[in-house]
Amino acid sequence: MHKKGKMITDISVMIAGMAGDGVLFTGNVLAKILKRQGWEISTYRDFPSNIRGEPTNYTIRASLERIHGRGDDIDVFIAFDCDAIFKHSRSLAEGGILLCDGEDFVAPPPSKSKARTYHRFPLRKLAISNFGKEIFKNMIALGALCYILDLDFRVVERIISEAFLKRKGREVVRKNIQAIHLGCEQAKETVAPEELHALVKRRDSDMLFLSGDEAIAFGALAAGCRFFAAYPICPATEIWQWLAVYLPQFNGLVVQTEDELAAMNMILGASYAGARAMTSTSGPGGSLMMEAFGLAGMAEIPIVVVDVQRAGPSTGMPTKTEQADLNQWIYGSHGDFPRIVLSPGTVEECFEFIIKAFNLAEKYQCPVILLTEQDYGQGFRSAKRFDLSKVEIERGKLLSQEELINIKDFKRYEFMPDGISPRALPGMKNGLHMVESNEHDERGYRDEDPEIRVRMMKKRMEKLKSASKDLIAPKIWGKRDAEIGIIGFGSTFGPIQEAITQLEKNGIRAKYLQMRTLWPFPLKKVEEFLATCKKTFVVENNFSGQLSMLLKSQVRTPFDARNILNYSSQAFRPREISTHIQKAL
Amino acid sequence: MRKDKDYHLTDPTWCKGCGIYGIFAALKKVAATLDLDPEQLVIVTGIGCHGRLNNYFLSYGFHALHGRTLPVASGVKLSNPSLSVLAISGDGDAYSIGLGHFIHSLRWNINITYLVVDNRIYALTQGQTSPTSETGFVSVSTPYGSKELNLNGPQLALASGGSFIARGFSGDPAQLSRLIKKGMRHKGFALIEVLSPCVTHNKVNTYNWFKKNIYNLDDDSNYDAKDKMKAWKKLSAEKKIPLGLIYVEKRPSYEDLVFRKEAEPIVSGDLGVDAPRLEKIMEKFK
Repeated sequence: MHKKGKMITDISVMIAGMAGDGVLFTGNVLAKILKRQGWEISTYRDFPSNIRGEPTNYTIRASLERIHGRGDDIDVFIAFDCDAIFKHSRSLAEGGILLCDGEDFVAPPPSKSKARTYHRFPLRKLAISNFGKEIFKNMIALGALCYILDLDFRVVERIISEAFLKRKGREVVRKNIQAIHLGCEQAKETVAPEELHALVKRRDSDMLFLSGDEAIAFGALAAGCRFFAAYPICPATEIWQWLAVYLPQFNGLVVQTEDELAAMNMILGASYAGARAMTSTSGPGGSLMMEAFGLAGMAEIPIVVVDVQRAGPSTGMPTKTEQADLNQWIYGSHGDFPRIVLSPGTVEECFEFIIKAFNLAEKYQCPVILLTEQDYGQGFRSAKRFDLSKVEIERGKLLSQEELINIKDFKRYEFMPDGISPRALPGMKNGLHMVESNEHDERGYRDEDPEIRVRMMKKRMEKLKSASKDLIAPKIWGKRDAEIGIIGFGSTFGPIQEAITQLEKNGIRAKYLQMRTLWPFPLKKVEEFLATCKKTFVVENNFSGQLSMLLKSQVRTPFDARNILNYSSQAFRPREISTHIQKAL
Repeated sequence: MRKDKDYHLTDPTWCKGCGIYGIFAALKKVAATLDLDPEQLVIVTGIGCHGRLNNYFLSYGFHALHGRTLPVASGVKLSNPSLSVLAISGDGDAYSIGLGHFIHSLRWNINITYLVVDNRIYALTQGQTSPTSETGFVSVSTPYGSKELNLNGPQLALASGGSFIARGFSGDPAQLSRLIKKGMRHKGFALIEVLSPCVTHNKVNTYNWFKKNIYNLDDDSNYDAKDKMKAWKKLSAEKKIPLGLIYVEKRPSYEDLVFRKEAEPIVSGDLGVDAPRLEKIMEKFK
């Protein structure tokens, strides 16, 4: 409970309305203001797969600590309509405050209930009577938030100017700032001083503010990705849209294909020709890519695929979050072939891992999957500035023309102890070979000899063993001697960390194994971790416990693990995890 | 000057009399005439009897998945436009499982030559009806006769914005060579459908049947391949099948539109990390 004068170190603001209301824009302006005032930010987008007319909400969380996800409660809630209230007022924290437009209220909630405050705040009416346009309700709402959170108006005005000046001109900036001041004045009349959530101001840090999708796109550019092909799909399209602007400036190419089959096969062609090539998609697109995924494995062509997971199966819930494509990428496509599956947990890791993905793909000549989620794919986070001095481009056994010309009898798929053969590109002298989707011999020509088949299969699979030392190892967080273990991958990173802190407050010590490479399975590290845990909980955003099943299929020693699953299409809240563990002990 | 045999890797093992021999011969001839360096030529094939061609023809080769020759070929060509890229499909590959790519490739107009080997049957899988089999065609998959209309590839190509549309016959390798050569010189996507009898499974569309049912536009001095309406009329006529250069237009290729004139191929670009430039871009995330 935030009492007046009490230091606020963590706050969540929810803005809710209908799609088309401008919720995202308003929220992002607020997030930027908070970021410039030195707060760490994590936003959470819960929006419909529809352009207009369905409920949407956006949570902006700010903290003085590092955060990587939404928290448990909403402290300040601005609602453009009642529908939103009935859905989300349960999440309002004790001491929380809610402002609702409320014009369409039939039965208004009490103004105070269980230490929560509810105010009517006629956003639309104010917008129309003062500015003649309903859209100004957004800036009036922002003004009210500025008052409640005690934000610095100089920062607010600067950000509004950044948002509108170039695109819409001085007059629009002036009007919007006027609307913000109006919202602030109105809030002063409505909100009592003890209901305020005044935030401390710090200096703007060097932190970035971006989505996981953007971090991947930027990382791909830095990693030398120069060919990108994709088909539009939520929630991955932001990667493409970012690259569509920047790749051409770096002599690269972004193409929109007719479907995901074309996208995957086209990046195979591009990579075979020698370009660093990538596609991005989500579950349904991944399903369509499955056959060509196998071709990448069979023909040993390096490619990078980003799957920003959404809630499935089928068309599912295109704009909601889930972690249910794990099986698709680890087991998907017919036949056996090597593949590497990486899972970043933060926006910083999105950048680091995509660079690693390109290097792994070329070094081990196989497809590499970067598995992320809508949660931090489309959600914006503050992130440490990326260190470009650490970006290395490793092209593995790709031969230069000089090296190739000196090779007698070049064989593209030569049997090597590490399974990795030298690679030549079309157009090179002395490098003629075949790329076969059929089983083939060392030169790439179709061969159905059982002996060759066995050797080729072993050669290809051997590459995963060679790669195992080069992969991103799982990371252990929390006290090493804790006996409660938590295992997770991807976006559960933030909620699990916070759940551990919550458990600690209740005298329970837990540690967390963050799986960062899912395949090939980091067996040794996982077994070591499990051996030190009396009880383990596997936290996943899916129905069947796909990570849990993976653990059970790989780990050789018996272990006591329970699943904590959330398949609601919403990200975990830390309390879901901590209360579950407390109850289970 | 290169010779046909410079491209001959091994002797093919297609059925004796198969139409693809004619295509194989024509391709070698064109490559030699154009003096193509085998190391600068990429041939992307699909699944079907035609897909064996890479095993016999000396060049860089890519035997792709069923129906996916065009996206692979496009990826190769766009990443390295200095290569000559030839894609080959069968009627199943091009007009059935890969039809989406066919239409969009015509629209894109990437500088690729595309041969569709049309034997009007699924041969490699032992003789099922294909999209180009005529209505009523009896096969193992349609023992009571097919009920669907057959698909007219060149006509579909014309409607899809094709900039070079031709049809050849594997029984006439001389004309076929001329058409392929023209196609390879064409700036943009060149479609050459090749009528090619399957001597093992298709007992209807034989060499004799084709000879009776084709006529040659190249012999018609009144025919103007630049006239789209004329081309449409010829392709719409129900009975006889026109061969030759059916339609050609000058239109910028996709590469002309997306790459600067002096730009070097993507694959030759320096991948070194341009830190100052990237730092500047990173500032936009603040």
